[in-house]
Amino acid sequence: MLNHFVLSLISASLVAQTTSSVPPKKTGIPNRPEKLSFRSIDFKVPNVREARTQLANGSSCYLVPDPTGQPIININITLKGGGYLDPRGKEGLAQIMGGLLRTGGTTSLTPAQLDERLEFMAAQSNANLGDASGQISMSVLSKDIKDGMALLLEMLTQPRFDQDRFELSKKNIIQAMQRRNDDSTSIERQQLGFLLRSEDYYGNRNATKTSIDSITLEDVKAAHAQLIHPSNMIVSVSGRFDKSEMLNLLNNTIGKLTPTSTAKISSEVPEGAYIGKPGIFIVDKDVNQGRVTINLPGVAALSEDYPSVLVMNTILGGGGFTSRLVKKIRSDEGLAYSAGSTFTGSVYVNREGDFRALFQTKTRTVAYGTKLALAEIQKMRTALVSVDELNVAKGSIIDGFPAQFANKSTIASAFSSGEFSKRPDAWLETLRDRVNKVTREDILRVAQKYLQLEKASILVVGNAKEMEEGDVKDHPGKLSEVGASFGFNWAVTNLPLRDPMTMKPIK
Amino acid sequence: MPNSRIKLLSLLIAASALLVGQSSANLPVKEHVLSNGMKVLFVQRNDQPTIAAGWIARVGSANERPGITGLAHLFEHMMFKGSKTIGTKDIKRDLQLNDLQDQLRNEIRREDSMLRAKQLRGEIADMTDPKNRSERHQKLMVEFEKLVKEQQDLLVKDEFSKVYTQAGGTGLNAFTNSDVTCYVQTVPSNKLELWAWMESDRLYNPVFREFYKERDVVFEERRLRTESTPTGKFGELFESIVWEAHPYHWPVVGWGSDLASITREQALEFFNTYYAPNNLTAVLVGDVNESEVVPMLEKYFGRIPRNPKGVPEVVTLEPKQIAEKRMVAEAETTPSVEIAWKSVALGHKDMYALDLLASVLNGRSGRLYKNIVLEKKLATNLRAGGESRKYGGVFTVQGTVSGEHKPEEVEQAIYQEIEKIKSAGISEQELQKVKNQIQADSFRRLDNNYFLMVQLAVADAITGYKEFIEAPSKYEKVTVADIQRVANDYFSKENRNVAIYNRKASAKPVDPELAAFPDQIRSMIASQMNRLSKITDLAQLKTIVGQMEAQAAQVPAEMKGAIDYLRKKIETQIQELSKKENK
Repeated sequence: MLNHFVLSLISASLVAQTTSSVPPKKTGIPNRPEKLSFRSIDFKVPNVREARTQLANGSSCYLVPDPTGQPIININITLKGGGYLDPRGKEGLAQIMGGLLRTGGTTSLTPAQLDERLEFMAAQSNANLGDASGQISMSVLSKDIKDGMALLLEMLTQPRFDQDRFELSKKNIIQAMQRRNDDSTSIERQQLGFLLRSEDYYGNRNATKTSIDSITLEDVKAAHAQLIHPSNMIVSVSGRFDKSEMLNLLNNTIGKLTPTSTAKISSEVPEGAYIGKPGIFIVDKDVNQGRVTINLPGVAALSEDYPSVLVMNTILGGGGFTSRLVKKIRSDEGLAYSAGSTFTGSVYVNREGDFRALFQTKTRTVAYGTKLALAEIQKMRTALVSVDELNVAKGSIIDGFPAQFANKSTIASAFSSGEFSKRPDAWLETLRDRVNKVTREDILRVAQKYLQLEKASILVVGNAKEMEEGDVKDHPGKLSEVGASFGFNWAVTNLPLRDPMTMKPIK
Repeated sequence: MPNSRIKLLSLLIAASALLVGQSSANLPVKEHVLSNGMKVLFVQRNDQPTIAAGWIARVGSANERPGITGLAHLFEHMMFKGSKTIGTKDIKRDLQLNDLQDQLRNEIRREDSMLRAKQLRGEIADMTDPKNRSERHQKLMVEFEKLVKEQQDLLVKDEFSKVYTQAGGTGLNAFTNSDVTCYVQTVPSNKLELWAWMESDRLYNPVFREFYKERDVVFEERRLRTESTPTGKFGELFESIVWEAHPYHWPVVGWGSDLASITREQALEFFNTYYAPNNLTAVLVGDVNESEVVPMLEKYFGRIPRNPKGVPEVVTLEPKQIAEKRMVAEAETTPSVEIAWKSVALGHKDMYALDLLASVLNGRSGRLYKNIVLEKKLATNLRAGGESRKYGGVFTVQGTVSGEHKPEEVEQAIYQEIEKIKSAGISEQELQKVKNQIQADSFRRLDNNYFLMVQLAVADAITGYKEFIEAPSKYEKVTVADIQRVANDYFSKENRNVAIYNRKASAKPVDPELAAFPDQIRSMIASQMNRLSKITDLAQLKTIVGQMEAQAAQVPAEMKGAIDYLRKKIETQIQELSKKENK
């Protein structure tokens, strides 16, 4: 076998020599992909103005028909509301109410009857309210659209809030709560919340055993009565239908919904200041792989810097295999399966999200990997990126654009989420041009502005003792000394786990 | 990027278990076989300027053997490392460096053998811990790193991905399961020739550089998905309990010890055996043009020589299971139960009835939810699934336990539901409901070119794509009698495997009041609590409280909190006991 192997190597190098010195055989196949030429394709961003309409009651609506598609219609109503509206001490109320819109029955149908109706007509229907927004949806065969629409309206406006299903919903939330510290991924998510935003930020107002126990059916009904207002809804429909017929149907159903005296236009989702402090924060969890995130304040999508930041991050860690963090940490060093960086979006386009670089590696290489990641971020601030990197990043954003609108339901949801996040129509339409204008100098400028590494909050979850010791044999260096190697005076803080039922730190 | 591979895998198993398509009239799949035996399927849909493009190899972890488990998947990673043209500035030196690295690795393997022997004798705990390396071993590792570094300096780093990324290719990825390995992405429709160039190049001229670094990456993937998650390692164990003889016994990602020992030479041999065109199918869905596709693929892929020997067949058949098997795990998770009955391979005539039976059990109006979640309130969540693979399958039911109930109670409740179907069958209404769902889902799945491409590829590699096309009519023919028959044929006690998950004692949510004590005192409290919890005699408990009160004055200050805490706990215990006695 070895002989065979060596032989194949020799013949392989021979082939390589021939191909490099002799012109390719007459296969018509060029020897490099750059030599291929491509016809241009004309792709226009789907036109939001064409899709936008307003229902008789003032709710916004987007219609994206697919005349040649499958005989399916998807209706989605984005709900403006969510956990941020939960009264203090009633955390979890929106979550319970949102779920019950689907599971709790309607005034005319018990939960079991509703389940049977929906499942017999092969509808797919969901309802939920998250921290900042929610949705209720219905996907039906085109032939069933009238029934589907009627059921959707009934679920939304006349929920039964069945007692048994209410209890079951609470039980499920408590059970999920008990799992909060089981998985290092979930520990990381919780702890990041508290590390970067204050305790009373809506995203950190987690449900607790006490808050769930205190929620009554009356609370649920009151929260619902407040939410159901035409201005709290963005309707979008995609699939095989006729546009004017659909508009007519909508106006005779959802469009007839008028605000009751208890309904209230939801307030804006509150802002939460970034409070991350520089340093290394360690959460001890006995698993054999450490999870690392490097955090900084981010950028608003409406910012003039956004296109440059987008390209910059694509080069740093957002561009998959071609980005620097992946090349270094995964490909060169074999330290992690997933690595990368992201500028997270915020609820509204005029607000800043966060910057986050992340990877997971075996406990002993956490310190070394963190050093490598920090060095890559630092490098973005000190040197221009190469022309090649710039071109690859721009190409991936500009030419990859059509794939973001691969089917009609994605287009419909892009439209309604655009409205929810207050994104101007021109934003998407001009993004490719704005990306195209980004220069290497722009990238250096935004890297220096946004990647202020000395201010980074680094969260590490894993076996604290082994992570601190580091890779003594191959890459010595303790985790607590990582900051010093960059000249940063970073404190090292051990963060306690939080009690899963109270979310209070466990001493 | 070979990301989210195994997650996608489970999705695919689910998708392929329900081989639902439209009638062939509505799904115009064109088929063509290239001169070298490579099969091409395409579906023309010109409404978006993109093409979902992929190819699949009929090879997976079932084609491995002990010692090289994980190779099919590791190999999939290697396919992104370039070719003689893509990925390096100096192919001659690059190949020499591969050779030199292999030689050095042979030396390192000798060191590994010695470490393995030491571990077997109990002299060291873990042969992969660098602290156990000999001086020579460490020197070899340093030298090896030097060669890696030299090679890296010559690389055009990840050029394979770069070419696609710059051209607007998205979702470049691959996945491996027990039966197939599939390489997928979406390209702008003007870049089809680039896809043909790149994919045929990596099949025609591959170079497996950076092999050992990638092996480390895969090991991190194993840690990420299996070892560091609450149930991953137990799931792996359960699979190996279910499958005794068949290669489904080992995990797709491979056993840790095998993964750490696979060589580049083995990967090369694997490629030569399984990646010949006569073992591959390409699938294109989207903005393609028939007259353009066939000559283009013949031109690019047609140059790859076929393997006249074909691939070795997987001949092991899983023996009929003759006794129930049980696993009881203590895990950091909500208590739950999983039952897996051995069922049938993909395309087996009984698969369709078993799939429909799973649907009858599932859903909010299904039997499991209605009877066990809502009525008996034993579980919060239940799910049945027919999981058929190329060489066999299981029918599973999983349930998450509610409140203080025991997994075994949920297990019994599941058996009761199964028994009802065995003896009384299901209603026509129930059957019609799940047939309606299958019909609607068959439309929904076609909405997405990417998923259609993946489903066609997987179906073709396992059963031939025609099974996929004909599936809806086969589901349509299933009767209530068929469902009752398969329930009786497959759901016997000796044919089942059961996994019980209890919450690990130390992972019980901590009482914050208890957590506030220093470590030493906390462990003292814990051992006392353990002792006390076994006392069921009310009088005895009351005596203990009395003694505690009497001695309260002599308790040292630092222990006072602990004693108070214990007293409170005993009082609660007393209350609960007296409540019970009063009943």
